[in-house]
Amino acid sequence: MIVGQQKPIEELWGMLKDFKKIMVFGCNTCVAVCHAGGAKEAEITASLLRIRAAEEGVEMNIEHGACERQCEPEFFMPSIEKFKAQDVILSTACGVGVNLMSSQIGDMPVYPGLNTSFYGAVPQAGVFTEVCGGCGNCVLHLTGGICPIVRCSKSLLNGPCGGTNNGKCEISSEVDCAWYLIVERMKKLGTLEKLFEIQPPKNWGTATAGGPRKIVIEHIAELEEKEENKATVEVKK
Amino acid sequence: MATVAEAPGKEAASMPVSTPISTIEKPNEVPTNWQPNIIAFACHYCAFAAADLAGVMRLTYPTGIKVIRMPCTGKLDHIYVLRAFEKGVDGVFVAG
Amino acid sequence: MKSGSNLERVILSGNPAVTAELGPPMSAAPDEIVHKAHILKGFCDAANITDCQTAVVRISSIAAAFIAQREGLEPVMQMTCRDRNRIAMQADLLGAAALGLKNCLCIAGDHQKFGAAGKLKGHPGAKNVYDVDTTQLVGILKKMRDESLQEGGDKIEVPPKFFIGATWTPMGDPMDFRPYNLKKKVDAGAEFIQTQGIYDMELFKSQCEKARNLGVLENTALLAGIIVPKSAMMLKYMDANVSGVTVPKPLIDRMAKAKEAAGDDKKKAKQLQEEEGIKITVELIHQALEIPGVKGVHIQAIDWEPAIEIIVKAAGLYPRPNIPAE
Repeated sequence: MIVGQQKPIEELWGMLKDFKKIMVFGCNTCVAVCHAGGAKEAEITASLLRIRAAEEGVEMNIEHGACERQCEPEFFMPSIEKFKAQDVILSTACGVGVNLMSSQIGDMPVYPGLNTSFYGAVPQAGVFTEVCGGCGNCVLHLTGGICPIVRCSKSLLNGPCGGTNNGKCEISSEVDCAWYLIVERMKKLGTLEKLFEIQPPKNWGTATAGGPRKIVIEHIAELEEKEENKATVEVKK
Repeated sequence: MATVAEAPGKEAASMPVSTPISTIEKPNEVPTNWQPNIIAFACHYCAFAAADLAGVMRLTYPTGIKVIRMPCTGKLDHIYVLRAFEKGVDGVFVAG
Repeated sequence: MKSGSNLERVILSGNPAVTAELGPPMSAAPDEIVHKAHILKGFCDAANITDCQTAVVRISSIAAAFIAQREGLEPVMQMTCRDRNRIAMQADLLGAAALGLKNCLCIAGDHQKFGAAGKLKGHPGAKNVYDVDTTQLVGILKKMRDESLQEGGDKIEVPPKFFIGATWTPMGDPMDFRPYNLKKKVDAGAEFIQTQGIYDMELFKSQCEKARNLGVLENTALLAGIIVPKSAMMLKYMDANVSGVTVPKPLIDRMAKAKEAAGDDKKKAKQLQEEEGIKITVELIHQALEIPGVKGVHIQAIDWEPAIEIIVKAAGLYPRPNIPAE
């Protein structure tokens, strides 16, 4: 899932202090799981902003709301009338939600309430770890299910660097060396010899280096276009 | 178990003893005869029952304290505390 | 002969090779490079010019290597994967070759968070590159030189002729993978290998044995890394903190004894420890050169370049062989 962290209230206040009507709008999927931007956190953020406004002696109308997924218009568009009544929307979704809302709800500014951090796992409640780089060209079958792209600080593909110290990375004794984990894992799986093969320079074109990425599943995309056309024809009739 | 959260801008009575208040913020002047508004969230099974017993024993407490019975202090939510402060209480008392 | 560098010629001649290290300054003045080049000249076959070591900005390896070469010291330019993508790397390699540089050591580079082990500010917020890793960079160099092709496949009219090197941390975790790690770099085209500093010669020997059994050491020149110890404190620090470096207790004890012998006299303690450090270095050099497959030593006298002359002479490695170019 996508893991995010709330921006400090001070930073939010700096963004919002000149607006009069604000809606804090949450997303109940990933960012709700990481206790950062679901309906509950949106309500808390709205409350903290109202307290701040009262302290500053500023008159503001701060509402809150949420939808199931801000990454799809059909979930937040039903609230469009509410959005239109605001001066600004503070989205506590991940950056995907902020982008999509911005593009869909007209000239209304949409500001980020979170710092979108990474694709993460939840190995235990309250702990979120980055384990996938979303590079668009997965190599996990070659590395024992441990991602060298983000779990190795240097994204090395052919083995550890010289910085491993007691199984930890040179950047911090708190960070596991991914290649140490990979080698140990591959030994257990009896597939260590897979690591002996030289991996050629990676094509990063499938990752962010290749520009914005887009995937179209044509038969589904076409279906929706047909539905839209049908609806237009019916209206014309 | 009892926790006291303080209203923003009021005396920071719950600050750890080791932290001098002056380094955090200057305490507001407290007018004489000022009585704080305190909201108490009390667990039905212990703190609230204790308050009941106190009543039976004819013990008194200041009128500025309002008690809200909860099925359990586990029912307390962040937003209850924040709403209480928004409505102007000076302190929140959670007992359970 | 792939590059015609002095280092390559010495290695091919069968003489034990000696490389040293020259760290460029955090300054735009070339004087320090010139000064250090004159100290090292004649006492090593080539000297590594570090590439923003410990992620601290210094004169670039290529520029410093060029200055050293002008002063008559053969440089081994270093190239980290941290700071350049494959486009910049290849452009710099062509440029370096055009300037007459002949040796290139490929390394991953210290992570920018490392910032001089906390001694300097560094640039912990920098974005690193790591477009390719060391093994891949070695492969790129080889492809450029031997096939006259860029990594992307475009032709190179006049290919850069480099003697290609890489590093090896034989005692780093996970230790049983390290010989294979070396094999990958050598298979990719590394013709010389400089190791992390070795103090535990027995362990190093057994790692070399494993590498030899994989047939690696026949295809590359392994230069054992020796970091000249200056004090007992330095040895203890390296043992505890430097990745892949373990220092046997007897060595630490020897240095501690040298320090104690001076009593409260700090100046004497420094002198006695330095003398002992040089003795230890010479012993380590002799032990390393006896290990089958080891073709030379890479001596690092950190901020103590004048020690190289003393060490090389004491180890019987002076004068350095003069192998004329073909």
